[in-house]
Amino acid sequence: MKKLFCVVLVIVLSLAVVSCGKGGEENKEVFTPSLDKETAGEINVVGHYSNFEALEEEFNRFAEYYPNVVLKYTYLDNYKKIISTTLASDNAPDIYFTTPSWVAENSAMYEYAEDLSEPALKINLSCIRDGLLNKDPNGNITMVPIYTTTYGMLVNENIFAKEGLSIPKTYNELIDVCTKLKAAGYENPVMGYSNNTSLLYSLFFPHFCGAISGNEAAILALNALEPSAGEYMRGSLDLVADFMSRGFVNLENCNELKNDYDAVIKRFFEGDIPMMFSSGNTVSGTEKREIQSESFVANPFKYSFHPAPSTDQGGFFLNTISIGFSVNKNSKNLDLTNEFMRFLISTSELNLMAQNKRMVTPCKNMKLDEIYSSFGELSESSIIYVSNLGLADAPDQQVRKAGAQVTNGLMTVDEAVAKFGQFE
Amino acid sequence: MVYCIVVSGRKRLPQGPDRASVFNREGESLRRKMLSLLNIFIITGILIFVAVYSRIDHENAYYNQVDSFENMTVALENITQNYLEGEQGICDVWARYINNRHMTLEEATLFIRESHVLKNTSSHLIYSDTMRGLSTRSVSTAPDEYEVDYRNVDIIGDGKWIADISQAINISRAYTNPMNGEQSLAFINRITVYDETSGTDREAYLLRIVPISDLEEKWAFPQSEFKNAEISVINANGDYIIKGGSFKSSNFFEFYKSYNQISNTDLQDLKESTSGETGSFVMKDSRDNLCVIAHTPVRVTNGWVMLNYIQRSSLDSKTENWILIGVITVGLLFLLAVNTVYMRLFNKKLQQMAKEAESANKAKTVFLSTMSHDIRTPMNAIIGMTTIAEKKIDDPKTVSESLHKISMASNHLLTLINDILDISKVESGNLSLNPIPFSIVESIENLVNISQPMIKEKMIDFDVRIDHVEKEYLYADNIRLNQIYINILSNAIKYTQAGGRICVDLREEESTDPGSVRLTFIVADNGMGMSPEFMKVMYQPFLRQTDSRVNSIQGTGLGLAITKSMVDLMHGTIDCQSELGKGTTFTITIDLPVADKQPDSFELGPIDILVVDDDPVLIETATDTIESLGASAEKAGSGPEALEIIRSRQKTGKNYDIVIVDWKMAGMDGVETAKQIRSEFGNSVPILLVSAYDWSEIETSLPDIGINGFISKPLFRSTLYEKINEILGVEAGAIESEDDYADLAGTNVLVAEDNEINWEIIHTLLEMYGIGSERAENGSVCVEKLNAAREDEFDLVFMDIQMPVMNGIDATKAIRKFENRRIAQIPIIAMTADAFSENISECLNAGMNGHIAKPVDIKIVIREIRKIKEKKQ
Repeated sequence: MKKLFCVVLVIVLSLAVVSCGKGGEENKEVFTPSLDKETAGEINVVGHYSNFEALEEEFNRFAEYYPNVVLKYTYLDNYKKIISTTLASDNAPDIYFTTPSWVAENSAMYEYAEDLSEPALKINLSCIRDGLLNKDPNGNITMVPIYTTTYGMLVNENIFAKEGLSIPKTYNELIDVCTKLKAAGYENPVMGYSNNTSLLYSLFFPHFCGAISGNEAAILALNALEPSAGEYMRGSLDLVADFMSRGFVNLENCNELKNDYDAVIKRFFEGDIPMMFSSGNTVSGTEKREIQSESFVANPFKYSFHPAPSTDQGGFFLNTISIGFSVNKNSKNLDLTNEFMRFLISTSELNLMAQNKRMVTPCKNMKLDEIYSSFGELSESSIIYVSNLGLADAPDQQVRKAGAQVTNGLMTVDEAVAKFGQFE
Repeated sequence: MVYCIVVSGRKRLPQGPDRASVFNREGESLRRKMLSLLNIFIITGILIFVAVYSRIDHENAYYNQVDSFENMTVALENITQNYLEGEQGICDVWARYINNRHMTLEEATLFIRESHVLKNTSSHLIYSDTMRGLSTRSVSTAPDEYEVDYRNVDIIGDGKWIADISQAINISRAYTNPMNGEQSLAFINRITVYDETSGTDREAYLLRIVPISDLEEKWAFPQSEFKNAEISVINANGDYIIKGGSFKSSNFFEFYKSYNQISNTDLQDLKESTSGETGSFVMKDSRDNLCVIAHTPVRVTNGWVMLNYIQRSSLDSKTENWILIGVITVGLLFLLAVNTVYMRLFNKKLQQMAKEAESANKAKTVFLSTMSHDIRTPMNAIIGMTTIAEKKIDDPKTVSESLHKISMASNHLLTLINDILDISKVESGNLSLNPIPFSIVESIENLVNISQPMIKEKMIDFDVRIDHVEKEYLYADNIRLNQIYINILSNAIKYTQAGGRICVDLREEESTDPGSVRLTFIVADNGMGMSPEFMKVMYQPFLRQTDSRVNSIQGTGLGLAITKSMVDLMHGTIDCQSELGKGTTFTITIDLPVADKQPDSFELGPIDILVVDDDPVLIETATDTIESLGASAEKAGSGPEALEIIRSRQKTGKNYDIVIVDWKMAGMDGVETAKQIRSEFGNSVPILLVSAYDWSEIETSLPDIGINGFISKPLFRSTLYEKINEILGVEAGAIESEDDYADLAGTNVLVAEDNEINWEIIHTLLEMYGIGSERAENGSVCVEKLNAAREDEFDLVFMDIQMPVMNGIDATKAIRKFENRRIAQIPIIAMTADAFSENISECLNAGMNGHIAKPVDIKIVIREIRKIKEKKQ
């Protein structure tokens, strides 16, 4: 009896110690206001999200420390173009959305941005995954990733369970599953948004990035848009051609999808699509739209998001920044804005925001939503940070367009490879 | 019935009065609980009423605030409508002008630029097909750039919703002005401009742009209580046109759904009610706070709704006066507590009073029963003995014995009646004292004599010890004083078992009052004693100790009450020490004035006296008394010791002049000692036998024993002085005797008495004392006789009260009104059976000089006559 008691005690104490250890990281992050709590002011955030409820949740949480601070999010029409004008206006925002490609295209986004790595700001950038922090040539960090995304496929688990199938983890398994589903009467084993792009983007682009990752020569050539660099796309385009040739995709049905967000989700919630190629951005809208879908409400099913298996080894976790926050260095409430950023840039808050929006957190300590759980199972070598890849936006667009041409049967692989650098 | 069966099945209930008492107690308990419940119910009711009333009042105030908020929203909608109509009107005027003038886009832009007055507003003119055109103001970051592009700013859509000029207000959603990045609204008109390139007219849109920040300034709530309100305007889909800070999401209904549980059906209803009518609803905002949303359709728009947000707490006018409720609650609870405590105390007191009343009633019932018995017993003797005397009228001895027994029974009956009268006086507070000079010696002797028969009957060891009583004549109401002493002593005798012991001590001490002495009278017995509980209430009337041993003893339960009252009246103290089964000691201490009259000084001269007594106290007091008389006293604690002392003294050739021996001594008693003295020393020394007992049984054998005389305890100075002198052949100092009635001779009394027998009695009694009397049959005759009498014909009047024709009171009043003042002032003494205090007061108030209760005690009558004669002299 004594022994048993001792054993139980040891186990309980051990668990307590372990749990204390686990909580330690977040405990260290406890936010301590540095300004007077009675500080009043207004923080305006602008972006291209028509809705940003996850951020509004953060506003509420920040207001617990600073009840007199008003935080406001505003959607800007034609954001990418208007942001530079807005930043120059009297009503310039305090925080604005940025992405690496936008910053590259729009110098104003960079010029107005504050260096968030400034030690005096005490913003805990160390909680962000290294591959997601972009430093400018001066070593400044003008954008902090808030959400990241990836590419893959939404899977209707109920269909797989019904048909006795396992979710494919390799390309061959994908082919096998699609074959069986097709045989089972599923007209569209796979669907995706195809307008002006490739519905198989989630399949071939991570494959392409995986192929060139670490190949500096290839990246230099691609960035230089050298015609010969088109060859670097061949493997991925072959993949597209092979997949399309098997008849698993009904292009007409895919072309009916009006956009890569609402329409894709709505169609997926119809419940008859086993796999829907999409991005994490699309996944972020699923939860909210469940109740908006009469089909889903009537016949709910379990679904999850998985890497698209493009090789025999599996798929890739291609991690790109979805949105980042930059602080307007000319903000009228700069101290308050920096205080909010200090509050926001923490593992707990960013993970919470990601969970609320069903996006992928930029934090090292990833707390992935259940829907992304299979991405957590991938090996470290399968994770590719696009920003670290060094691929410029122009070759990126060329590859996308080439993929779309092949996917839609408008070009052969050879033609697409040959046309690299010439796509408009 | 069922109840009785159930109860009897579980617990046997007492029967008879006890059973009723149990039910009464249970009923009382039930009533008390019901009353408590009623109190709690009423208080709870009041509190609920106050809380509900306050709540309703608060809710009414809240709803009034909500109404006010709604009204304010409607007022703002009116302002908005006017504003929108005004803005649209400007746009209409411009559009109409442009259309009429057949302008190119550039000309129209120039015209509007020149027409602009307001600094913050601008206008955009864009071709409907390309959605590009010109702005009246340049790009904020490029002063020369006037081209505007709406291709990626979808605020017009297909444009079909835009009504013709002046037909409606065409207003866009809130959008980002592509020229300056500001959130703005646009009033839109479709216009036609001339295209110089094609030489044809082209459709275009004229947009009058108003920054939302300008509108927000205009939409401030004027009332201070709504200063925290926020305004939003949504379109028919719920998308914000204007978005207040607390409104979240891009669509109001999305916002609602995000923070409030609502079904799709209810959401649809909410949409319809919001867009269709003015009203309000409550919802949770993003901070989980309850807020009130007042809504009203903006009439001039196509489905716009003005939504005003305010936190619900801001509309709470705080009319709920919790302090008031708290104070009322605490007050009521305090009152309840006070009332409960007070009622409990009051009930307890009432219960106690009821118990006392019940006890007193019970005591009275017992008392009446006892009285009935006690009255019937002597009455039986009186009637029975009277019958015997009548039957044996020829047998003088039997008649004499019967008369003696009738007399004794009558006296007992009188005592009972006197007790009743006394307690009546005590209860009415009319007990008064009639002080006169009296002899304490006589009083004590009388006390001993009265007690003798009972003491003898119960074979009680009785002693009376007198210590330093030097002042024999005192001034007090001796009748009341005797009554006190008799009551205490008779109680001791009654409650001491046969063969027990009673000791009476009388002590004279110095008083703090000048001219007074302090008499301490102690009666100690070893009787049954009293319980502490009874001692607490023993002075209350009609109460007797509940004891099986006591119940067999006759008593009225009035003695101690009367005694205490009398002691109090005499400003004395009465103390009692008692222990159940061990005995009782009463100590009465009274300061009494010393009377002027004192006996002549007692002086025995140089004689030697031997005092023999086994009681050390008594022997001590006796020797002290003897020595105070100037004689020499020696002490012997027993008979053999006395013999030895006498023997020793004779050896010296001397002898005692007198030997005083106590009768009842342990071992050799007084008689045996006397015999031994006579046997050994002859008859030369006189022997006095001392006793507190009746010596009649040995009186006849005195000469044989050789005892020269008896002396009764207590041994007062005067008693000793007289007896010793008597034995030694010296005449004692004369003490005034009351047996000489010569002073009464020639006294003539008018007796107003309607009853023939009573008249005969008083007449005969007075005659025995040489007092003449004349009868008046009623008050009227009495008045007439006095009216006709000579001034000195009557010395006084004995006036019965209840008489026919004229009662004694009226007669007295009439006499007092006589013109002849001498006759009018004749002493009138009430002689009546109306013996209660109020009767006495009535008599005195009518002008009488005194009151004698029937049956008359001739001694009292004589005393009254003497008093009157003394005054007269």
